[in-house]
Amino acid sequence: MIEVTGLCKKFERSVKQGRKTKKEEFLAVDRVSLHADAGEIIGILGPNGAGKTTLLRMLGMLMTPTEGNVRIFNQSEKELLELTEKKAAIGYLSGNTKLYPRFSIREYLGFLGELYGFTKAEIEGRIAEIFQVLDMQGFADNRIEKLSTGQMQRASIARCLMADPEIYILDEPTLGLDILSADAIIHFMKKQKENGKTVLYSTHYLEEAQFLCDRIYMIQNGRIVAKGTPQALMEQTGCSSLRDAFHAIYENYADNVRVQEKGGNRI
Amino acid sequence: MKKIGILIKKEVRDILRDKKTLIMMVVVPMLLYPLIIIGMSLAVSMFMQSQVIEAHIVEYNAQYEEEVNALERLYKEHEDEIDWQLEFQPGQKRIEEGSQPTEERVDTENASANRTGAVRMEMSREADGTLNVLLDYASTDEGANSTRRAVEQVLELYREELLTESLKQAGLDERALYPVVYESRDSATMSESFGMDIGGSIGLMLMVTILLGAVYPSIDATAGEKERGTLETLLTLPVTNFQMIFSKFISVSLFACVTAVLSVLSLGGSVLFLMFGLSDTVAEQFQGISFTAILPYIPLLLITLIATALLATALCMCFCVFAKSFKEANNYITPVLLVVMFASMTAMVPSIQLDYKTAMIPIVNVSLMVKQMISGQLQMSLVGITMVVNFGCSILIAWILAKLYDSETILFSDGFRSFRIFQKRSDIKKGTVPALGDVTISIVVVLLLTLYVGTVAAVRLGSLNGTAVNQLLIVTVPVLVVWYMKSDVRTLFSLKKPQKGTLIGSVILYLGTYCLLLALSAILMNLMPQSTADLETTFAPIVEAPLPALLAVTALMPAICEETLFRGLLFGSLRERLKSPFWAIVISGFVFGAFHMSLVKLLPTALLGMLFAFLVYRTGSIYPAMALHCLNNLGSMMSLKYPEEAGRILPFLVKPQLSVMEITGLLGVGAVLAALGFLLLRKKKE
Repeated sequence: MIEVTGLCKKFERSVKQGRKTKKEEFLAVDRVSLHADAGEIIGILGPNGAGKTTLLRMLGMLMTPTEGNVRIFNQSEKELLELTEKKAAIGYLSGNTKLYPRFSIREYLGFLGELYGFTKAEIEGRIAEIFQVLDMQGFADNRIEKLSTGQMQRASIARCLMADPEIYILDEPTLGLDILSADAIIHFMKKQKENGKTVLYSTHYLEEAQFLCDRIYMIQNGRIVAKGTPQALMEQTGCSSLRDAFHAIYENYADNVRVQEKGGNRI
Repeated sequence: MKKIGILIKKEVRDILRDKKTLIMMVVVPMLLYPLIIIGMSLAVSMFMQSQVIEAHIVEYNAQYEEEVNALERLYKEHEDEIDWQLEFQPGQKRIEEGSQPTEERVDTENASANRTGAVRMEMSREADGTLNVLLDYASTDEGANSTRRAVEQVLELYREELLTESLKQAGLDERALYPVVYESRDSATMSESFGMDIGGSIGLMLMVTILLGAVYPSIDATAGEKERGTLETLLTLPVTNFQMIFSKFISVSLFACVTAVLSVLSLGGSVLFLMFGLSDTVAEQFQGISFTAILPYIPLLLITLIATALLATALCMCFCVFAKSFKEANNYITPVLLVVMFASMTAMVPSIQLDYKTAMIPIVNVSLMVKQMISGQLQMSLVGITMVVNFGCSILIAWILAKLYDSETILFSDGFRSFRIFQKRSDIKKGTVPALGDVTISIVVVLLLTLYVGTVAAVRLGSLNGTAVNQLLIVTVPVLVVWYMKSDVRTLFSLKKPQKGTLIGSVILYLGTYCLLLALSAILMNLMPQSTADLETTFAPIVEAPLPALLAVTALMPAICEETLFRGLLFGSLRERLKSPFWAIVISGFVFGAFHMSLVKLLPTALLGMLFAFLVYRTGSIYPAMALHCLNNLGSMMSLKYPEEAGRILPFLVKPQLSVMEITGLLGVGAVLAALGFLLLRKKKE
């Protein structure tokens, strides 16, 4: 399981002020607290630029938080402290995690297995198992640069599976995929949930999130604006679908911000 | 440690599968040396053979048969001393239309002009009996050049013979003619001079191959990783950033080392092939080079080259981590390549040797070491220093690299673009501030233009017009850059009204600084009297010009043109890009100082530049700086043109030497005024 409290990430950006551009610090992730337990699928929703990717990158140990600490526990509830241990416990997948084009998927998985400290026999067994599950024997020895998009996506899943991590962090995994490939991903997430793994994922497809997620965090401007089960979120807003609930929540949030700004001006 | 091993294995495998890298690593060194060395030697030997076969024909006008016979006799007697074989032939008569048939001329069009290596010798005798010999040849024809030299040698012998004869007739000893006899002997051994000639270029070639071997894998392992989108995948692995970059560094170095070793082997192979496989003429050149003396140095050379390969790799990777694509990385690496190549080229300068000073400069010392090794003059202690320096530098740069690679802003950056000017103008956004690279290029371009065009203009048009041309060049470049980059000129060049109430402060601050600078110049004058004297002589001719023209060119134009470049483009861009006004002021000041290319003026000019930049910063306008710059130059020009009058008003302006009292006084007054001006400016800002 994974747990964070008060997670922040500060970035610099250049802002135009009249004719001058100035560098300014801002919080891409602002005091986010969340937890995800074993056997749960957690959805992270929000518009572009809300801070989803930065949040997931910190959870995935790719970025160091400016404030706050990502706590990761293994199956026996023991906290992992070493960075490499934490990384090994996480399977991270995003649109930017491409595979080495000049390797074949078999070679690549072999390399990963060695890095995770598996024995030769373990590596071979695991590779055979993964190929079986994902039906990859047909292109296991082709160079990755020669694979089709769907094959590439399966290869990426294979990469995540190789380490057999406790937690899967997936950044928009179904983006731009055809229905078959997207279904394969959804099937994969459900399967991991059954296996008692933790899955955190961000998406723009609200229907998909509605039936797949156990709990949802909605974020905007780096902050959590709503959280709960899809059912709870719909009831809260009195909507019949997550899509409507999403609209209601974000309109409400925008109103709140406007009111706050006006109030700020008066004072 | 085990993880690093696994990572290295992966990196090596990845690089090995990249065809481009393999070509750079194996094919280039394997082909480059044989092609260059053997190709060039073949060309030389072919040239030499063609020279040997060719007859060096000397044509002469037939009526001087007697003299020519004497020349031929002398030539036969001294054949060993004369460099080329000569053949004397009577030239054909040419009878020009309309001219008298008795006039004897060698037909240039039909005879010698068509024959390479031929020289036409036209003899005539003057009334007093002197024999005039005109040697007609084409300097573009190398064969004719050799013939001419040989004929001159023979003619010299002939002259000596005639001289001795007439001395004898006059009853004098011929020794009276040569009270001093001298001879020079080249004590350099064959291998020494060979090392000088060839060693330098071999060093350069080695450096180039190592660099080429390092560049491609460097780009591939850093920017390539970003471009292919595999960097984020790499970051998910259970390894630290240090392990990651370290394994990359080692793998890329490995390839650079392989290139280095291949280069040495290929180089050695080419030389051996030359020695034993080619014709005697070429092999002859290598006689006397003790290859057995070079052999023990080969392991040392290999170790040093490995150190260099590490250094080159670290350097390349340091620049490549900033890039997000191959193309961008290429842009960054090109200046690095140029600098390294220029550094290695210094080895080709004969007077530069490997000593305790040059051994401290990385890269330069390696190519010097190669040169010295081939000429057999290598000192062991210097080899040690060379190795230590290169290993040390590579560790230092690798450490910087590790720091860079640990920074998220670099890993996840969109690349940082230091050159914007190389984009198409239509791609440049309106209001772009020139980046550091653009500004550097502009300054270098101005410097080169003033050096070359300005010098030519000064020679052709006189020093006053030359200065005017220089100033025009100085203002043209920033204006063009700003136009091309669509920058916001008003903001960048601070073409605005000065802020209210800053004028008095500016003037007082300037006067204070001026006093300080006078004191500083006086001190520097004491330290470096010679360069001060040189400075005055350079200004001497220009001061003679009429006053209005002089002031326009030396006061008004610099105020506008130099301010536009240094305070406008340079300071304006630095201020935006560096985010620190302090460093923008300091750097632009020093560039301004260095631009004046005078050691003694460097510090005062730099301080003046900083003052002007500070004024632009505080008043928000370039105009006060322009006005004060004009005033400043006006003052110094007037004191140069009218030293007496100036001396009456302000005696310390023209005094050759200032006393300690006067210097202290100036310092005191200057400090008080400067502090006052500073305060005035500061108050208004708040």
